[in-house]
Amino acid sequence: MMKRKDPPGGAKESQGRQPNPRNNKRVKVQDARNIRTQPSDAALEDGKLDLNKFLNAREFEIKALEKSMTKCKAINATRVFQMVPRAMRRRTASHNVKRVPKRLRAQARKEMLDDNTPTVESRKRKPRTTRARIRAETMKKLRYLADKKKKKKAEKSGDGTAEDAQTKAKGVVTTRAPRPKIRRNMLNEPPKADSKFRKRQINKTWLPTHLWHAKRATMTKPNSPLWRFAIPLTSTAKCYRPTHRASGQKGVVAWDVSYMSTIGVYGTDDCIERVLRSLGLVQEGLWNARGKKWRTGVRKWTGTVSRQQKSSRRDMGPTTIVWNPEPPATNSDEMETSNRSKKSQRQILIRTHPSCFLELFDEVVKLAKRQKPQPHVEDLRFEIGSIELLGPGSTETLLGILEPYHETPETAECHASVFRSLAGVTNPASLPKDAVLAFSAKDPRLAYPPKRIQIPNGGEQTLLKTLTEWQVEENLKPYNIFDRESRYQASRMPSQKSVNRRKGANAPGEPIKVTAADPPIPVLLLASRPATDGQAQGTWTLLAPWKCIQALWYCLMHYPLTTGGNPRLGGLEEQRQIAFEHGTPWFPGDFPATNAGVNWELEQRAKRRRDWDRRPKSKRLEWKSLDLGAGRKGEIGDGLACDFEHLLGLPKSDVPRTQEKSGAVSIPDPAAEAMVLDPPEPAESGGTQGPSQSPLSRVETISLVTKTAFNALAKSASAEQPPAGSIVTVSLAFVTRGVAKPCARIYRLPSKPKTTVVPSTQTEVPATPEAPSSALGSLPADLREQWLAKVPLASSNANKINKRGPAAAPRMPAGVDMETRKKILTQSLLTTELAYPKSAANQADFGGHPLCPNEEDLIGFVTTGAFSLSEGKATAIGSISAERAVETLRETGVREGKFCIVRNAGESVGWLARWELV
Amino acid sequence: MVRLKDRYLLVNIIYTDLPPAQSKTAGSNKPPVSDLLLYNQPTANELRPQTLLKDIRSEIASLFGDCGSGAIDRSLQVKYFSPATSTFILRVSRSHYRLVWAALSFMQTLPAKNGRPCIFRVVRVSGTMRKVEQEAIRRARLLVLAAKDELKGMSSSDALGALLRSDSQQQRTLAIVGGQGDDSASEDGLVED
Repeated sequence: MMKRKDPPGGAKESQGRQPNPRNNKRVKVQDARNIRTQPSDAALEDGKLDLNKFLNAREFEIKALEKSMTKCKAINATRVFQMVPRAMRRRTASHNVKRVPKRLRAQARKEMLDDNTPTVESRKRKPRTTRARIRAETMKKLRYLADKKKKKKAEKSGDGTAEDAQTKAKGVVTTRAPRPKIRRNMLNEPPKADSKFRKRQINKTWLPTHLWHAKRATMTKPNSPLWRFAIPLTSTAKCYRPTHRASGQKGVVAWDVSYMSTIGVYGTDDCIERVLRSLGLVQEGLWNARGKKWRTGVRKWTGTVSRQQKSSRRDMGPTTIVWNPEPPATNSDEMETSNRSKKSQRQILIRTHPSCFLELFDEVVKLAKRQKPQPHVEDLRFEIGSIELLGPGSTETLLGILEPYHETPETAECHASVFRSLAGVTNPASLPKDAVLAFSAKDPRLAYPPKRIQIPNGGEQTLLKTLTEWQVEENLKPYNIFDRESRYQASRMPSQKSVNRRKGANAPGEPIKVTAADPPIPVLLLASRPATDGQAQGTWTLLAPWKCIQALWYCLMHYPLTTGGNPRLGGLEEQRQIAFEHGTPWFPGDFPATNAGVNWELEQRAKRRRDWDRRPKSKRLEWKSLDLGAGRKGEIGDGLACDFEHLLGLPKSDVPRTQEKSGAVSIPDPAAEAMVLDPPEPAESGGTQGPSQSPLSRVETISLVTKTAFNALAKSASAEQPPAGSIVTVSLAFVTRGVAKPCARIYRLPSKPKTTVVPSTQTEVPATPEAPSSALGSLPADLREQWLAKVPLASSNANKINKRGPAAAPRMPAGVDMETRKKILTQSLLTTELAYPKSAANQADFGGHPLCPNEEDLIGFVTTGAFSLSEGKATAIGSISAERAVETLRETGVREGKFCIVRNAGESVGWLARWELV
Repeated sequence: MVRLKDRYLLVNIIYTDLPPAQSKTAGSNKPPVSDLLLYNQPTANELRPQTLLKDIRSEIASLFGDCGSGAIDRSLQVKYFSPATSTFILRVSRSHYRLVWAALSFMQTLPAKNGRPCIFRVVRVSGTMRKVEQEAIRRARLLVLAAKDELKGMSSSDALGALLRSDSQQQRTLAIVGGQGDDSASEDGLVED
């Protein structure tokens, strides 16, 4: 066999036994590069100059050159798989023709043949490992068995008609398929997986679109699922910048967020109100006339719920709550409407993150059991799935795939007509705040592939009218998605096979007619605005029965956007990225004051520790020898953690135990509990016992101070302090340079030196008070000024300091005579810097960059940080100690108090930043 | 990976005297040859690319010594040589193309037996063969246009104009008049007006 990279014209070739395709190619290339020319006679008329010949010669030249250019372009060394657009490129396309689009396959095959590319057909490859061999043998056996079975069946059907008739005569009772059980006040089991995939879902649940995602996204590792789900982390294609663009400028990003948990509560109006109040929904605005829209079910509420914990309240996590509208009152009922409002049965949906689901579910059940009449709680996790969409094309995409099921005027739902009139909306944030739309949609597969929507003429006017009037309260009926029966009916969609069959019978391009076999899909659409006000894009959340999500997703991913392209898929990383670019904290990573956040942090710590341990000793950061300047050695706290325990002075266990615990216990802890029917005792009881504290309970004392509470505290002149061990979430923006990574330390500016106490070293050199008095081991006295001088919009004060700072040698003024020059030179030589007092500690080590403050000025940690594409500079989200922040604000005022210094863990140089509450 | 970077020089050979066959009969009553034809004569067939190369090499050796000749030794190559139009394209390594250019400037006669006096004029330096070819095509086109003008009898007697016909100034006016030439050129002309 010939080697692939045989040198052209090698020994074999010279014997001429076999034409080498590579050599052929070389000849071809040489031929193409050769440009034809004419001899000089062509331009001469028997030795004399002639205009016509001159013309012909030039024309010949033009043709020859043009031909050479086209020939060169034709033979250049591109292969067909390089012509495929980037999104369609596949890893093995160079040696597997099946990886290129069909129309290019023949060419690819030919090129591979020409190039002598070694191709492998996986089907014919011999198994190499023992495991693969065993698997192949089993496959063979199974195939044999299946064949045998098939044959037997065929025989039976040949002569088994009589038997069939017999059974028919007996009268087989057909029963309806069993509906999935939903237990009251208890957790439900995930849907029973297909037997083929059941073994892979023992420790986790797959999303409805798992098979689709597993091919296109990096999923969580099989043995370490996230919150008991296999969740797509990020697309396998490069997507950081495309996601940024799709979310803001052009396109759509879609997430299958079916892992978000839903809880249903059913009970009388006032019972539910009491439950919600004790979940922390105590704002009066929700329960008086202002919250009427929410309570009728045409708006949603999103916020953080909390639970009572001993004497304080502890946040659980952000949730969304939607009420189901009451059934319309008939005439006879109208008299007792006032009565009804108190006694009527209502339903609500609570949608929350899976990391805090169990905590919330337990709390809701506990609260529900205290009410009378007792409302009941249902775990609707695997009943309702959801899809999230973000980007200018999100509304368009939804309009393209969701068609109202009821079209006749008498059955039409008003929400559906409002939804259809949204064509042209480019940002769901322009809808009324927290808008809710619920209607029944057709099976999107009937109109597959989805077509680009047409924006009707004069659409602007109708759209404006829709957005201003927002008539959703007329003729309000209970939403179908709350109804178990209609959810169940919707999940019995016809199979893809039967849809295909109907499509085959249909004329090409025509949508399939809806029949009785196609159930309506109850959908609930939630439009949310970004937490930070501004021009940022809002989000659509589509809630639908779990089993319908897959069909919706497949159609959604093929919707042709008017701006070109299809929706992009997003994973968990993209969700974090979007939150970060909007400057909002991401749950649970940026919520260290919740249990879910603590678990996340512990998990991250364990992961960082594992990565750190895996590095060779010479290549990893030695935390103890980190030089912070001025004689300070070692990282503050644990360098691999956002060490809030250290900051807030919480009891600390030795490090290895933490690792062990966080690695072995706390990670599967919430997840495992989430599935177990009767979870073990909550951690609270363990927390009271003192010595045997789990890391969770240790950090559980951290509480969050809300923005409003913090602002009130900062403004009040009294010495009122925020509760001990409380933190507040902030967003950080760097003033000049620097990029923060997670775990970066946040310092406040060092406090002004106390003028009353004069150190003895300073008394000796009173003549230079502003010179940094720094014996080794202490910080310069003017550190605060040094930092403030870094602010670019310098006040006059800061400017002066900057100029007075260590300057270079004075420049020789231009145009002075020799005498003066000599004088200046001698002066500059004589005034050398004295060895004593020593220059500032930062002069030698950090090139004049101000040193980091001491540990007493540490105020918090960065939880997320990177370069933000939306801001064009580095930003970060972090949490700082509320106590120290209030103290600083009171001391130095808002302007200077909000400056902070951010230093990455393991680095000795910090950068100036400003924090703002979020 | 190391990428070899080259420069391609497009060179015209310009003559100022009549070809030997014509000069013998020059004394007769023939009308004088137009400047366009005079300057853009074909080159004698005796000049082979190899001889051209040899001559350039020797010129460089005399101008720049061993160092210079060594520098261009490997990379110098004739990619295209058209005697009928007296145009050729040279390839040199990027760092030393000035040496070759200088040598061409110093060459005064055709490197052949009893070579005629001539000028080697470098009209384009480019990093890719394609762009050089495009330039050659552009110049040839302009010459064709000029020749057609001449056929119609509108000869431009300006000797310098004939030589520089294909240079920028001329090109602009031509582009405006004929509506040809590449886009950038016509744009330039419009801006100027």
